Amino acid sequence: MTMNLDINVEHLTRVEGHGNIVVNMKEGRLEKAELQIVEAPRYFEAMLKGRSFHEAAIITSRICGICSLGHQMGSLKATEDALGLEVSEQTILLRRLLTHGATLQSNILHAYFLAAPDLLGVGSVFPLIGTHPDVVIRALRMKRLANDIGDVVSGRAVHPITPVPGGFTRIPTEKELMGLKKRLVEEMVPDFLATVETMAALAGKIPDFTRETEYISLRNDHNYAMYDGDICSSDIGRVPDSDYLKMTNEFVVPHSTSKHAKANRSSFMAGALARWNNNHDRLCDASLTAAETLGLKPKCYNPFMNTIAQVVEAGHCALDSVAIIDQLLEGGLPNEQPNQEPTKFGTGVGAVEVPRGILYHEYSYDRKGRITAANCIIPTGQNLENIDDDMKKLVPEIIEKSKEEITLTLEMLVRAYDPCISCSVHMLDVDFIE
Amino acid sequence: MKIFAVGNSFYGDDGVGVAVLERIREADTFPGADLFDAHTDALVLLDRFMPGEMNVIIDAADMGLEPGSVRAFRPDEVRVKIKSDHLSMHGFGLGETFILAEQLGTMPDNVLIVGVQPQRIEINQGLSEPVAAAVPRVISLIEAEATE
Repeated sequence: MTMNLDINVEHLTRVEGHGNIVVNMKEGRLEKAELQIVEAPRYFEAMLKGRSFHEAAIITSRICGICSLGHQMGSLKATEDALGLEVSEQTILLRRLLTHGATLQSNILHAYFLAAPDLLGVGSVFPLIGTHPDVVIRALRMKRLANDIGDVVSGRAVHPITPVPGGFTRIPTEKELMGLKKRLVEEMVPDFLATVETMAALAGKIPDFTRETEYISLRNDHNYAMYDGDICSSDIGRVPDSDYLKMTNEFVVPHSTSKHAKANRSSFMAGALARWNNNHDRLCDASLTAAETLGLKPKCYNPFMNTIAQVVEAGHCALDSVAIIDQLLEGGLPNEQPNQEPTKFGTGVGAVEVPRGILYHEYSYDRKGRITAANCIIPTGQNLENIDDDMKKLVPEIIEKSKEEITLTLEMLVRAYDPCISCSVHMLDVDFIE
Repeated sequence: MKIFAVGNSFYGDDGVGVAVLERIREADTFPGADLFDAHTDALVLLDRFMPGEMNVIIDAADMGLEPGSVRAFRPDEVRVKIKSDHLSMHGFGLGETFILAEQLGTMPDNVLIVGVQPQRIEINQGLSEPVAAAVPRVISLIEAEATE
């Protein structure tokens, strides 16, 4: 048995953020197994203090290009909760549609661009363009349609502009929604089924590892909870979203500028696998069939299967989007104006599922409708302690493998969670070719 | 013509592209041009490049020049450092997008990148003085390229 192991995968990638995997084993005893990370929205409160309720969602949606929709939804819900702004059934349907589009896009990209290269034994998605061009093109086609859901419903895909506190400034037209529906049925559903086939061929290569933990997601009585619900723990059941601090208990660790979190154990998992474990009974039949094909059991304790749970969930997002569009069309798409007359000025919480887990926003407002305090807890922060706990169990189990294999397995573990690593700056770094 | 801004206006000079786009929009400098703010999701460009048109991308770029320096270049004139750590989708940027577009054969012939050397990339909402001063020069440069 290898008694000593030192792994230090440094990914100094951005101007101000990085994720490092550091593992240290000495004489057979694991001294350290941790993911060091810097996450972006740590100046959240400073950014929002003094801002009007009209601005909060616009500002927060710019925190991250990939999670902008999620931040916007969480922000709007927190503001509406704090100011007592009721929203219409149509608004909720449109927001659920937006959330499905964003989840679909992120899940698909993650499965194809991050996980598949590992399972095929190539370093990145780029070699796949040569060997599996149809698969890469399919992934991009699915991403594009998911983007287009955002374009149609929110005005533009990357940082939505029509969703505002109390509703929408523009309601999509019947023609636009019919167009989306047609493409979802004719393009997305076949692409989803092909995706299941592709992933089924790869699923056997997912590392066999089990660590049961606490799984936390939203849950409600009506649907597969993405946009709203109570906080649901596999350990203690449902608690209202206003109790989110009790379900996150942020704490500081020396190896990360990002806070870690825990609820009823040393750590918990949020994200697609948690949603699957807590809410699989709410998924559509096509997703349940996909889960069976892909070997995802009703209770799954293998964090590497998070990717498979994302694929399964993507099918639900696509098919439920069709159902939501039908409901919207049945409602006649009334041209409602957003309800922006506050009935109170207090504190409110918005909890939404984003691809990586539950995102919490909490704001307090003064009587002028200006933010006096703000808090945001992102899912990556919630998952960090769980990743460390996974690594502590995983490393001794695979210690007989080569250092390279151990490193790759640990990277795959981190990738399964798709953490937000300093997402906020995308400056180009160029050398001119002389 | 299609003009893209890439970058985050909440991170100081990383928002230069968005600032230029807003200036162009306000003054209607390029009537008929399609303006698109890609924010930090450069992969969106893959779906939005316009073949047969001039595709301009404005971004903060570390070119090793003085802050506020503006330089226009074609993708084949530079080596864009791939910074993707592959630990997360958050690592996909313009460099990765170019590789994908080229390998898939969807890279338009006419792509012009306008890079602005940033002074500070840190959380605050304004551009630094030299970068703010560079905004009109970026627009002039695009005008010159567009009429060529």
